[in-house]
Amino acid sequence: MSQADAYVMLISSLPNPESLFRAKRPPLSRLKLDQRLRVLTAEDARTLKLVEGALDWRRLPIDAAEGDIIARGRRALAHIDNPTLQRIVRDRLEIRSCVAALRRRARGEGPPLGKPWGFGRWVGHIERNWSDAGFRLDGVFPWLREADGLIRHSDAAALERLLLQQAYRRLQRVAGSHTFDIEAVVIYVLKWNIVNRTTRYNRVAATRRFEALSRSGLGKQVDLF
Amino acid sequence: MNEVALALGWVGIYAPMALGAIGSTIGCGISGQASIGAMLETEGGYGRYVGLSAFPSTFVIYGIVIMFTLNREVTAANAGGLFGVGLLAGLALIYCGIWQGRTVAAAINAAKEKPEIFGLSLAPAAIVEGFGVFAFVFALVISGGIAGGAL
Repeated sequence: MSQADAYVMLISSLPNPESLFRAKRPPLSRLKLDQRLRVLTAEDARTLKLVEGALDWRRLPIDAAEGDIIARGRRALAHIDNPTLQRIVRDRLEIRSCVAALRRRARGEGPPLGKPWGFGRWVGHIERNWSDAGFRLDGVFPWLREADGLIRHSDAAALERLLLQQAYRRLQRVAGSHTFDIEAVVIYVLKWNIVNRTTRYNRVAATRRFEALSRSGLGKQVDLF
Repeated sequence: MNEVALALGWVGIYAPMALGAIGSTIGCGISGQASIGAMLETEGGYGRYVGLSAFPSTFVIYGIVIMFTLNREVTAANAGGLFGVGLLAGLALIYCGIWQGRTVAAAINAAKEKPEIFGLSLAPAAIVEGFGVFAFVFALVISGGIAGGAL
């Protein structure tokens, strides 16, 4: 069996998530997902952990400096041999660098010359085009201007939504050429992580709305409780 | 030289059967794994997944028929023809088996989420089968021109 067919059974046993932002919950629990992922070879399991570790910000210490995040990304890339997975990690870290630059500019700061602040091919380009709304990267990241507007209006929820949507779309694009290989497994897990995040936001929003409705329904009686 | 030619003639006779068997084995292995995976995720309809996973087994049957058609006394005159037709038919069958296994696996993977596309998702597998049938039929037709037929 070739590498292209290495995980036919695993992929077939994984339910596809509903479309992003429409899903009420992830297609399967993390516990069940981890159980299914036990069929990965030790090397592939390590690769998956590296990719997830490099992209999951919740695994970073809260006081992590930009330099630490960049070093972490570089370390992960150095240990990932697979070119497709390297591209996925690099893409996501580049997107984060662009957003970090937008945030920095919205705070009125200039490009942090001489200090490590970003990752990937566009760092120098962004520094040179700091004053342009989309850093003259409209061809590569056409959504940067929209993200810039959202940051300026402090609409964190819409920005998060936009970024997750872009990350999901990029994964979908790569998924088209990988059906049953390790790349397909990693892409599934990364998509699962994105869906999991959006459904948690939905749960929080639903709880807030429920509380607001309860309060308005109870009216003045709320003081009784 | 003559012995080498005769050996190649025998290779040609057995190649469609052996390569067809390899293609069917790999193809059924791939689609079978997909059907097992789908069974983990679905609540019913297991039989049709198992049935689908047997699709690539046809290529070994085509290989057996071609082998019997090519089977004749191998001579220096017909060894080249037997080798060429047998080997190329076998290569076509092995590729058809492997790729049909992949298309069936993809069909199972898609149909487990969306049962309504079950029939349509098999179209690529049927097209691959069609190419296998071309290789099979024209191997039979062309073998009629090889000297020493009908043992």
